[in-house]
Amino acid sequence: MSDRNLERVVEEIPSLRAVFITAMPDCLLYDSWLKADETWTSEEVASYFGDLIRANREGLKALRAWSSEMQVTIESTDVLLVLREVSADFVVSFAFARNAPLGMVRLHVKRALALLDELLPKIRPEERPRALRISEFLTRYAPDAHTALKRAALRSGVPVELLERPEHLSVQQVEQFERSVCAILGLDTLSL
Amino acid sequence: MSELNLSPLRRYLPEDLMFLAGQPAVYHCHHFNLFLDQTIDDALGPELGGRLRTRAAREFSHHLLQAVCAKQGAELPPERLQVALELFRLMGHGRLHLDASPSGGAARGTHLHYGFAWHEKYGQKVRRLDPADAFGSGYAAAAIEVAFGLRLGAMNAHEQSCVAMRAPACDITLDATQTLEEPRPFIGEAEAEAATGPAENGLFEDIIGPISNGLKEFTAGVAGDERGLVQAFGVFVTMHLAGYYNRISFDALEAVRAQSPHSEGVLADLLRESGHVCVFNTFGGILLSPEWEGLVGPLVDDPGQILAFCMAMGRALGFGRWIVADFQPERRFVLRTPCSYESTYYRTRFGIAERPVEYFLQGAALAMAQLAHRVHWTARPQLTPEYYQQLFKGGVPWRAEQTRAIVCGAPVSEIVVTRV
Repeated sequence: MSDRNLERVVEEIPSLRAVFITAMPDCLLYDSWLKADETWTSEEVASYFGDLIRANREGLKALRAWSSEMQVTIESTDVLLVLREVSADFVVSFAFARNAPLGMVRLHVKRALALLDELLPKIRPEERPRALRISEFLTRYAPDAHTALKRAALRSGVPVELLERPEHLSVQQVEQFERSVCAILGLDTLSL
Repeated sequence: MSELNLSPLRRYLPEDLMFLAGQPAVYHCHHFNLFLDQTIDDALGPELGGRLRTRAAREFSHHLLQAVCAKQGAELPPERLQVALELFRLMGHGRLHLDASPSGGAARGTHLHYGFAWHEKYGQKVRRLDPADAFGSGYAAAAIEVAFGLRLGAMNAHEQSCVAMRAPACDITLDATQTLEEPRPFIGEAEAEAATGPAENGLFEDIIGPISNGLKEFTAGVAGDERGLVQAFGVFVTMHLAGYYNRISFDALEAVRAQSPHSEGVLADLLRESGHVCVFNTFGGILLSPEWEGLVGPLVDDPGQILAFCMAMGRALGFGRWIVADFQPERRFVLRTPCSYESTYYRTRFGIAERPVEYFLQGAALAMAQLAHRVHWTARPQLTPEYYQQLFKGGVPWRAEQTRAIVCGAPVSEIVVTRV
């Protein structure tokens, strides 16, 4: 997205503090806009929002209540967040001032999303190797993250030097790696 | 039967190894305890890892309880059980309730150190799929063995539910077994003395000695609260059996060496990391505590002084007579000791090693250099996991090399930490 396109869409929205566009399924930051005085790090925020939407989608599917119109609203102490999928390829997250009226927020989000839907590319981003995404997921969620890869090496039996270049792992090694990451995080499966 | 008190049971060798009723003992915090147990399970898997940890706990708790019951004059099973439960609480491991006979039974734990601390530290981040209290389980088995005069290994223990897995309490089953473990060499004060070199003085002794003595006096009064926990210096502290740490570490190393030798180096790295975890959390927590300020005074940002303080803490926690053999700010720090709990165990059980195996000591020395030079102590930082990551992720600008090792036949162990 060109530098100015996102800004043009959102800069006039009152009480808006930031917008993050996360590319799925890798949960990487695609684009962002932050109000001049905000100090958030877009790269850090974007991946968590992508994971959140994915977990929400899976949860709703388990309840047989999922629809593509799904929207997540979070009212925290300091911020009002609205997260929404735009096709299967992007999650757009709007962060408003906490005191912004919800009705006004919904209206502006709807309008902005309609514009962004036109601007965002329709081609699905190339999917990166699963092992790489497993590695990123582990680092993002494991306690004591800097030791996580060594822990996975011990658990999986795959040498840590190979895990440091996960894109080169064999199919069997990827399976072993994924099982070890599930065990470390206490999960049955990884939602990637 | 006299009232149980840890202080008269505790003794330091002149070389600063600590013993509790003749069993090698040290103080370690929950961060270290959880990290080490986790490393063992990573190496062996939760089932084998849990079994090893339970057996190690049973072995060293059995020896401890036999000695403590004898000292207390506890002769009858109810008296011995009472001693066992109270000792567990005083050491900061939580509260155990036992309902068992020589043929087996059950134990219930509340605020067990491992499960409770795991839930506190990690419970909001990850889901635990296996119980955490192998130490409590093994201790419960040993308590029944000693209470009823059974041989070591006669009672098996298995934790069925655990607060770390979000159960309301920790429930442990106890079963009598006929399959006893092979007896292993006993490790007590005499064995430790046999594997101890001559005590030396190093730099900053005028600072280290008095502080170490003050800390020993302070810790003499430390004991579990009503929950059976010692909550101090921002951590949960335990008085723990060094044999437990050693057996699980060295047996795991042996198993990994046999089954997947390429993983041995990673396991050794994580055992070293446990030294970082200990120094950052326990040493850091003590330095930033009001008790420290009362004992020593306000901190200053002086790497030499911080290293001297670390030596004093190491001695008081029972790790050995650590000295600063050499120090050049920002360049080099040499830690030397005539003994360590790792070398005592290794020499007694395995003899001479081909290469140094004091992984905790190696990691601790490196972490001390990092803390001494990189932490702005007068700013009184919060010792959060995020700060730990910041200090230790991606490697540190120091390299630790063990140049002398008691396990290799040297009279002392020495770690040389140099700036990379």
